Amino acid sequence: MTRVLIAEDDQNIVAALSFVLGRDGFEVSVALDGDEALRALRAAAPDVMVLDLMLPKRNGFEVLKLVKADPALGALPVVVLTAKGQPQDRRLAEQIGADAFMTKPFSNTDVVEAVRRLARR
Amino acid sequence: MISAPLVGPKIRDRRRALGITQTGLSAELGISASYLNLIEAGKRNIGGSLLKRIAEALGLAVDELDGAAERRLLGNLAELAAEPLLAGLRLDPGAAADLAGRHPAWARALVTLHRAWLERGRAVNALTDRLHQDPFLADAVHDLLTRAAAIRSSAEILEGADGLAADPQRRFVSIVGSESRRLADVAQALAGFFDSARTGTRPGSPADEVEDFLFDHGNYFPALEQAGASVDGPLAAELEASPLLTSDAARRGARGALERYLAAAMLMPYEAFLGAARRLRYDVDALALEFGADLEQVCHRLVTLRRPGSEGIAFGLMRADASGFTSSRAPLPRLPLPRHGGACPLWAVYQAQHSPGAIVRQLAEFPDGERFLFVARLLEKRAPAFPMPRRLVSLMLACDALVADQTVYGEGLDLASAARATPVGANCRVCVRTECAYRQEDPVVGA
Repeated sequence: MTRVLIAEDDQNIVAALSFVLGRDGFEVSVALDGDEALRALRAAAPDVMVLDLMLPKRNGFEVLKLVKADPALGALPVVVLTAKGQPQDRRLAEQIGADAFMTKPFSNTDVVEAVRRLARR
Repeated sequence: MISAPLVGPKIRDRRRALGITQTGLSAELGISASYLNLIEAGKRNIGGSLLKRIAEALGLAVDELDGAAERRLLGNLAELAAEPLLAGLRLDPGAAADLAGRHPAWARALVTLHRAWLERGRAVNALTDRLHQDPFLADAVHDLLTRAAAIRSSAEILEGADGLAADPQRRFVSIVGSESRRLADVAQALAGFFDSARTGTRPGSPADEVEDFLFDHGNYFPALEQAGASVDGPLAAELEASPLLTSDAARRGARGALERYLAAAMLMPYEAFLGAARRLRYDVDALALEFGADLEQVCHRLVTLRRPGSEGIAFGLMRADASGFTSSRAPLPRLPLPRHGGACPLWAVYQAQHSPGAIVRQLAEFPDGERFLFVARLLEKRAPAFPMPRRLVSLMLACDALVADQTVYGEGLDLASAARATPVGANCRVCVRTECAYRQEDPVVGA
């Protein structure tokens, strides 16, 4: 079963994404802040990560940068979610290594489709 | 000595209005009727005790008679005529005196409109600044999009799944309900923000309110300049009652600012400090040495030299940290300073951050032709314990270039030469220098 880690601090968004990804056959785990996300990744790397940029403790940009710099995790596909829709935020996320970029409010279908596509890669 | 052309006709008009003859008034004053005639005709300058006696005889205060109001009006008209916007009209400065003399009400109307126009310009700058920099807006927009994301995701689940079990159905209906309420709260807060921004009633943070309170008093508090002054009493009552201070935090902040003002006034008494400032040509290091104060205290004290009739140079002040955050500001009427950082990166206050200990002076020219002398220096605040970084702030004084030659910092600076001025703006959003290599974003208001 394909494993997805959702790193997002808003409980209701977590609930909705967990439901739709779970319904689509993914095994979902959740981290509510940046540090928790890194611990979860190092404990058991998922196949795809869905990462919010505005996370408590350690923001999503930092998490993404550490993941991409880590030889063991660098190949992990990452879908970035954010309310920061500015072109410069998108460029920065892509430069650091984001594989897909979705701005809030996103469509569940788009997120599931991106996760499915990246999991096959 | 008072200029005769302004005073003479006023004496004559007042004398006639009171039904006193030239002979009668001259007798009362102990001067000849022919001398009074010369005075009234504007052919003799007068001052001192004679002016005082004439004022008393006509039942006027000296300042009503000595033309101070007219001179202020003429000064305001000169300021208006110097607007770069009006440069093409080639206004005759001499005609201003004629206008003020013949039609003072019209002259005052023009000055009133000019001031209102300047105020609007400042309001546009402030609102633009707020729209782009206000942390409340950034948080509110982020919150709004997060709420919308949760609602959209939950709504998609509810509308797309006929066979949805009862538990998740209840859960996502509940999420849509609660997130909708939170979304409405955020939207209402945003609407309130724009409503109050439009009417100019939202001052921003408590620190902003304190600055507005100080600015509203012209940065000068006569009650704190007297021996034995106290922040208690009438000033404390004013702090409680001021509509500019809308929270306890703002009132506490204003009280703290007044206590610092009082301490500065005791350390640097007004007349002594003003005299020393003029003698030392506003050299802040020399003033600090003379009064045993630190540089920042001296700079803040310079801003308060606004006693009517005994004013020093009008200085603005700005303090910024390495992040560009503006931690203290005292704007000048024609020099708006940013509340939330983001001023022009060319300003001396930022340039000083590259030159610890050095005084950075700059003749700054704005796109509308306004020129100011900026003097800035990087200061180290109380050093924190190792290994925390040093706390450095950059402090800048600003004054109109027209008076810069009264300061040591204007020496050797060719204030008349456009080539020596640094072309700056207020900030990128309101600056029309599209070719500027330092531009960070496009302008959003009128080019």
